[in-house]
Amino acid sequence: MNAICKRDLQGFFRSPLGYVYAGAFLAIMNLYFFASCILSSSSDVGSVFSNMLIVFLFLMPILTMRLFSEEYKQGTDKLLLTAPVSVWDIVGGKFLAVLGVLLCALLCTVPWLIIIIIFGTPAWGTIIGCYLAVICASAVFASMGMFLSSLTESQLIAAVLSFALFLGLYIVDMLSYSLGTDSLLGTLLSWLSIFTRYDTFMSGQFSLGNLIYFLSLTGLFLYLTARVIERRRM
Amino acid sequence: MIQVSGLTRRYGAVAAVSALSFRVQEGEIVGFLGPNGAGKTTTMNMLTGCLRPTAGSVTLGGFDIETDADQARKMIGYLPENPPLYPDMTVEEYLGFVYQLKKCTMPRDTHLEQVCTMAGLTDVRGRLIRNLSKGYRQRVGLAQALIGDPQVLILDEPTVGLDPKQIIEIREVIRSLGRQHTVILSSHILSEVQAVCDRVLVIDHGKIVADGTPSELSARMEGAEQLDMTIEGAPELVLPALRAVPGVATAVVVTEDGKKSVYRITAESDADIRRAVFDALSQNHMAILSMQQVALSLEDIFLQLTGAESAEAAPEPAEAKEPSKKKKRRLFGRKRGDDK
Repeated sequence: MNAICKRDLQGFFRSPLGYVYAGAFLAIMNLYFFASCILSSSSDVGSVFSNMLIVFLFLMPILTMRLFSEEYKQGTDKLLLTAPVSVWDIVGGKFLAVLGVLLCALLCTVPWLIIIIIFGTPAWGTIIGCYLAVICASAVFASMGMFLSSLTESQLIAAVLSFALFLGLYIVDMLSYSLGTDSLLGTLLSWLSIFTRYDTFMSGQFSLGNLIYFLSLTGLFLYLTARVIERRRM
Repeated sequence: MIQVSGLTRRYGAVAAVSALSFRVQEGEIVGFLGPNGAGKTTTMNMLTGCLRPTAGSVTLGGFDIETDADQARKMIGYLPENPPLYPDMTVEEYLGFVYQLKKCTMPRDTHLEQVCTMAGLTDVRGRLIRNLSKGYRQRVGLAQALIGDPQVLILDEPTVGLDPKQIIEIREVIRSLGRQHTVILSSHILSEVQAVCDRVLVIDHGKIVADGTPSELSARMEGAEQLDMTIEGAPELVLPALRAVPGVATAVVVTEDGKKSVYRITAESDADIRRAVFDALSQNHMAILSMQQVALSLEDIFLQLTGAESAEAAPEPAEAKEPSKKKKRRLFGRKRGDDK
């Protein structure tokens, strides 16, 4: 697992992809931060973080598309499949590598906290909730993207599929809003929606249910990916 | 060391490999020989556990590739058809990654050094794989297979893309590896298999059509003998006489020229028919003006073995003879004109 994680993490930063990704993410997020916190002299980072997931929605497919598709294309999957490692080592290693890139990007937002500490009053509950929420939700997206990447040899197809999936989830979320909580469907959709749970998580309300929801959804897609790889192998 | 029984792989209705069974002893170098699409790569993918067989089993050193996968995989070094390389890594980084991936326990630096020397990579260790030529990539692929000193090496067309000097070097490496390792390599180059392997499995349409040492195969080659003969007499009389000789598989007229004609006679395998033909013809008072043995090359044997499957092997040569017959006739005709 270690070796694969290390290789993939290095792979992101050996190609321009990792830098482009982090650059795009930081450019957009800093703009948000500037607009909603600095310009309006607010120390509430909640609004910035609620937009962060939308940005991840667009950027995540770029990060996950290559995970398996590229290996298939280069034929390097044979190296991994014939190595004495378990399927979970492969899947876990790759997942951790994506998570590593995400954490790197998040780490670059630490200056915001410093600015808030100096010029405002940080609400630590909300801030920690925001970070935890964004990590959990992006882990779900990462596992979904990785699963789709394991299905196809083409990076483009993997990216388009994951983008469609994420956007679909977002639309489901909007649907649940417009349906309201009176109807059963609306309640169900809002219960299922990643974004609704993300919002409650982010508001600083820690809920074990939400955490378990995110973790199990991530686990489900990691499991599905492992099954796909298992089928390719013996 | 390697035991394969009833290995089958189907893609839909097409059987790429059907009911392949063979054993490989420790320290043997076995060559898979076959035309493109014969099922060599599919077989190798199944041997290494990259591809699930539709039926059958593979056992490596007592470990089943399906049930004791990890143990079995530890014994394999695999060089697939396209070397599994990450173009964004340097050779050094890549081999280090493979070393970690294979969970090797031997001292890292000396082992990598040794592998690089074996594959002839010492000069390019710091270069990006992306920038290497095809030959060097092939060598990196070989080095990757050698890491961890696996007992079984499976090499899919190891000399593809190498220049003649490198081919000789790599063959030398493979032969030296064969002393301590069990090696299976595939190739469609006959001379290579002949030069390197202790044993040859000829595969066609997913089946083994011949199995033996190169010298056994060449013995078979001498057996399936062909004779070119010039015989006096009318072909209508000579042909039946020739075909009546025991051991003669086919006899055809190559050139027909009134009194004397040239015939090509193919013997059944493992039969020397020269004496029998001589006896038969002399009994019929047909004079042999010339008799020449046509040596079958390994290429011919290979074509014969792999073409036999299509069952049209017999009519094909006859068809091929027709045009040449006409051509030669014209040649003789012109000559006669010159005489006038």
